[in-house]
Amino acid sequence: MFETESRSIQLDQIDWNDTSCLITYGPLPHKLLLSIQTVGLIAPPLLQGKKNGLFRIVCGSRRLAACKKIGLDLSPCQVLPSFLEHQTCLRLAIYDNVAQRTLNPVEKSLVLAKMAKYLEEPQLVDEFMPVLDLEPSVTLFDRYLGLHDLEEMILDSLATGRLNERIGFVLAKQEKEDRLAYLRLFEELPFSVSVQEELVETVEDISRRENLTPQQVLSSKEVTTLRQAHESPARQRAQKIRKYLRDRCNPRLTARRERFAQETRQLGLPSGVRLVPPPYFEGPKWILECTFERAEELASRLRHMVLLADQPKLQTIMESASGVSSREVGN
Amino acid sequence: MVRGILASLPEIPVQWVDRFGEDRKSETSKTLEVARFRGRFVKACPGTRFYNCCGYQILNFANQCSLGCSYCILQVYFPNSNVRLFANFDDLLQQLDDHLRTSRRKVHRIGTGEFTDSLLLDHLTRASELLVPFFAKQPSAVLELKTKTSQVDLLEKLDHRGRTIVAWSLNPPEVIDREEGTASSLEERLAAARRCQDWGYRLAFHFDPLLAYPRWKGGYAEVVDRLFSVVDPGVVAWISLGSLRFMPPLKAIIKQDHRGSTILDEEFVPGLDGKLRYFRDLRVEMYSRLKDLLLKVAPDLCIYLCMESNDVWREALGFIPAERGGLSAILDQKVLELLD
Repeated sequence: MFETESRSIQLDQIDWNDTSCLITYGPLPHKLLLSIQTVGLIAPPLLQGKKNGLFRIVCGSRRLAACKKIGLDLSPCQVLPSFLEHQTCLRLAIYDNVAQRTLNPVEKSLVLAKMAKYLEEPQLVDEFMPVLDLEPSVTLFDRYLGLHDLEEMILDSLATGRLNERIGFVLAKQEKEDRLAYLRLFEELPFSVSVQEELVETVEDISRRENLTPQQVLSSKEVTTLRQAHESPARQRAQKIRKYLRDRCNPRLTARRERFAQETRQLGLPSGVRLVPPPYFEGPKWILECTFERAEELASRLRHMVLLADQPKLQTIMESASGVSSREVGN
Repeated sequence: MVRGILASLPEIPVQWVDRFGEDRKSETSKTLEVARFRGRFVKACPGTRFYNCCGYQILNFANQCSLGCSYCILQVYFPNSNVRLFANFDDLLQQLDDHLRTSRRKVHRIGTGEFTDSLLLDHLTRASELLVPFFAKQPSAVLELKTKTSQVDLLEKLDHRGRTIVAWSLNPPEVIDREEGTASSLEERLAAARRCQDWGYRLAFHFDPLLAYPRWKGGYAEVVDRLFSVVDPGVVAWISLGSLRFMPPLKAIIKQDHRGSTILDEEFVPGLDGKLRYFRDLRVEMYSRLKDLLLKVAPDLCIYLCMESNDVWREALGFIPAERGGLSAILDQKVLELLD
């Protein structure tokens, strides 16, 4: 433990530009402003005197920012001795914060990046990842460290939970313009986290194949039209964009699906009956789905299907779907 | 074996360790790890019930490969990028002997090329000098040495008695240059194959992975032309065809570690075993074309598909293995013909 001195500090004596111990990131909580306005500052922030006569914030940056915003001049503070090493102050800031709340992904990244100046990677992983409620893995450590250099817009989304850290990890590997293009799409339309991951991979595949940047794919005429179709609900637009990108990424599969759909339409299946090919048209097992409300309805649909099952048309669809033509079988 | 390796590398620093440390993938693999293996050296090839499996058996004397092929699945299998050699060959030969004596199989096709390249380190380990004579004494077993190198020098003087098959994985030169790291060129591989042919070995070739790149049709046609301008089809035990397939985690590794690779440019779909593959129509087209090219030169060649379903077999080769007793039986029969 360290001796601290209780003092009232003028807010203009604080070096606001010194963020070396700052590990908080995100908007000021409204309730903090309300609390200070109503009952004053209950827990004094922790500062450290600097050689230039100003004070560095160690703990309580948001409390002090709230005081400033409210228009207070003075704040009760605890002041640490100036000889205390910076690493020690940083540790105080980290442990003080993690004891009170769960840090957001940007703050976790800040902790690791700032401590990396003082500790080797194995020690950081072993000591600080568990403190941050993270699995002590080198891979995960690298991923969090990658968040540190992202653009403010992305960091804001991560800090407020609008963007999941899994997507942050993925975007960190992209070029700046590309990741901002992804961010705009993900903020605009409701995609789940796993679909966002899928979309990044799909767009990457398209980009590589068509020699375009992801940003160019996402701003292509087709995607833009779907994004701007405001007459449809956002969820529907999101689904259409996902389908469009998947189809563009898988032209062979899409062509086969379209052909299969056309052939089954021509087959004339009874209503309520659906023929489902094997996944990706590969494998021996087909599914026939039949929905019905009454037993007679079921019987009628099944009778119809028995007749269709004897027709060469159905056989042809199955053979062409699995790629086997009747001409070649048995050769 | 360890003494031999150390003697042939007098300048290389050696460190004796109780355990191997964690190896970061980003580092170039420059360390050869030599260890005692305490597990089973002989295992069945991990086929899957969804596809026709060839019934191969694996003799595992090393893990990992340093050739650096972009598509190599070993990058996923082994987190460590160093090659790890299991040097207790006395145990290996003892286990192999026990296995061959006690197994109910009539024929054994055993290969060392599943978890490493069979001949990559042969100049250091001289493993072929132990394995080839061992198999020469076996009445119903063959050893297949699969490689992408041309390191066959040690095979010249060995008494193999036709029980070692030397096999190469083949691809067009532009694919080798772009995707196969420091592996030997096509010409070097074929020259090495020719030397083995001259020493009386049976040969095998694996067009695996077949890669669909823009010029694949012409590229593979040229490989087949080159192959049979150098090698006598009569000494070829078998040729396998297998299109590119990989577990999904390999995709990220290819993107990160093989930036010049173009193998991810094609369309992939998940197969029945969860691996990503080319869409089946493309696979069938590739197999059919290769089969036609190969059989045009040598109509009696034994050609098989690696890890493919019956409908792909039927469409590409015109039959399914079950009609001829199963793929394993087809290849076993081929071995019996070779041993006659």
